[in-house]
Amino acid sequence: MTADVEKRIPPVGRITLRGLGESETGLAFIAFIVMALLPIFVSGYSIYILPQYMLFGMMAMSLGLLWGFVGILSFGQAGFFALGAYTMGLAMQSDLGINPAYIGMLLSLVAGGVLAAVTGYFLFSAGVRATYFVLVTLALSIMVEQIAVSQSDITGGWNGMFIDRISLTFGGLGEISLNEDAPAYYAVLPVVVVTYALLRWLTSARFGKILAGIRENEDRMTALGFSISVYKTCAFALSGAIACFAGALYGTHANFVAPSLGGVLFSTEVVVWVAIGGRNSLLGALLGGILVATLSNYLSTITPEYWQLVLGLIFIVVIVFFTGGIAGAVAQLPRLWQSRS
Amino acid sequence: MSVLLETKNLSKQFAGLVANQDIQFSLEAGSIRCVIGPNGAGKTTFISMISGHLSPTEGRILYKDQDVTDLSVIRRARIGIARKFQTPTVFDNLTTYQNIELAVLRTGCPRAKRHGRIFEVLDLIRLSDAWDRPVQFLSHGQRQWLEIGLLIAIEAKLLLLDEPTAGMTAEETASTARLVQMLTQEFKLSVIIIEHDINFIRDLRAPVTVLHLGRVLLEGSFEEVAANDQVREVYLGHEAG
Repeated sequence: MTADVEKRIPPVGRITLRGLGESETGLAFIAFIVMALLPIFVSGYSIYILPQYMLFGMMAMSLGLLWGFVGILSFGQAGFFALGAYTMGLAMQSDLGINPAYIGMLLSLVAGGVLAAVTGYFLFSAGVRATYFVLVTLALSIMVEQIAVSQSDITGGWNGMFIDRISLTFGGLGEISLNEDAPAYYAVLPVVVVTYALLRWLTSARFGKILAGIRENEDRMTALGFSISVYKTCAFALSGAIACFAGALYGTHANFVAPSLGGVLFSTEVVVWVAIGGRNSLLGALLGGILVATLSNYLSTITPEYWQLVLGLIFIVVIVFFTGGIAGAVAQLPRLWQSRS
Repeated sequence: MSVLLETKNLSKQFAGLVANQDIQFSLEAGSIRCVIGPNGAGKTTFISMISGHLSPTEGRILYKDQDVTDLSVIRRARIGIARKFQTPTVFDNLTTYQNIELAVLRTGCPRAKRHGRIFEVLDLIRLSDAWDRPVQFLSHGQRQWLEIGLLIAIEAKLLLLDEPTAGMTAEETASTARLVQMLTQEFKLSVIIIEHDINFIRDLRAPVTVLHLGRVLLEGSFEEVAANDQVREVYLGHEAG
């Protein structure tokens, strides 16, 4: 080693920091502060509905991890989301002497993780690549929806399943009921923040760098001796667990789950959120989920007939002009600024 | 010196087309071997069987006296057999540093030593100054070097280089020859090189194996091979003269 190695500036750019680049952490901080302060200024329906959109954002991050960092697209995220909601619903009906909320949360993590791990293991170890993976995840979504319809004794079929709001117990220390909107809001927000932080940490650690390597050149990674199927399976399992967990919280928050929550249509919406928000940035995916869901809600009230058309147009504009989504466009701003001045 | 790699009756057929036939090959540890032959002679097929990208129809491959014929590409890379492809196969959207970093991550090098190790490799392949440059902006020759750097970084013992000097200037070709010689002399690596560039092969001063129609036509020093009438006829033409 040459003597001056230590003097060299350590690299600032990390493999996985694409999308929003270096400014992502700062922007995420601002976004979370705004979300945390929002209930002080706003009340009513917004505070009721926002936690659900945050959970959509969490599901969008689970797709962002796969699509942006590993380069594999999944049309099955809604399937995991619905699986989580049903798991929570069944847990809430149980009577095991333990707070069913915790059972529901734990089981949803396990169910989503295991379903994704098993599916991923068979697909990736067989060398299935992008396009076929999309098709299988699409089928996964359809299967969840169909099972929810057909197993009506357990799931309620087309009628759906009602789920009580959970309450968080802390042994002898007390209990927080999430029946009111504000406590529910402040229960969901930290979950979303922690998930974001966890994913940011993972994607900038060794695991994330290897995922980025797989996204960039699978053949090279194999030839270097990386077991890429193991890494892809782990990423998919993590993604499935996160989407399923988000679904569990969504189910209890919305008090209801129906088969269509796991359907292809909803899975496609998730892809649209992430594409608009920016698939290369976890914050882009998260905010994409929250903002596009909010926008859809708003548009559907002012123009019930055409809101999907408007959303479709936005999607096309973003895809054509900003391939990196809104996050990608934001990342370009400093460069544009520099080139003008 | 001990034998590092040996192939026994190695054959490969593609639906009746004989790509390799009964190849008996032996490489000593710490040595270089050039594999030459006209297009379609079966050179890349031969290397692909050693790297695990193709499985032979018949025959065995022994590496450090261990039968590796049935091992996957990943397992072979992990025991030290690593390959550079004909077209540079690197991570184009990442920087030079990040490319080498990925390879170093494979080795389980402790975090504290990673940075130093990455620059050690970058120094060897003379890309230290371009550490933060995205690889897509490097010259073709530099990308070839980077790919060799990836193999060094995973601590490979046997490097399989498929046309490492393709697209290089005469000067770059000469320094590639020096790099390969240094790797064998200082780091005791072993190298099998597929090449078309006669000057490069001459510079290496390494034994040459000539393949023709999937069979070994001749083995010997560059001078012996260049002087052989049969070789001149099938491959070298008038270039050697």
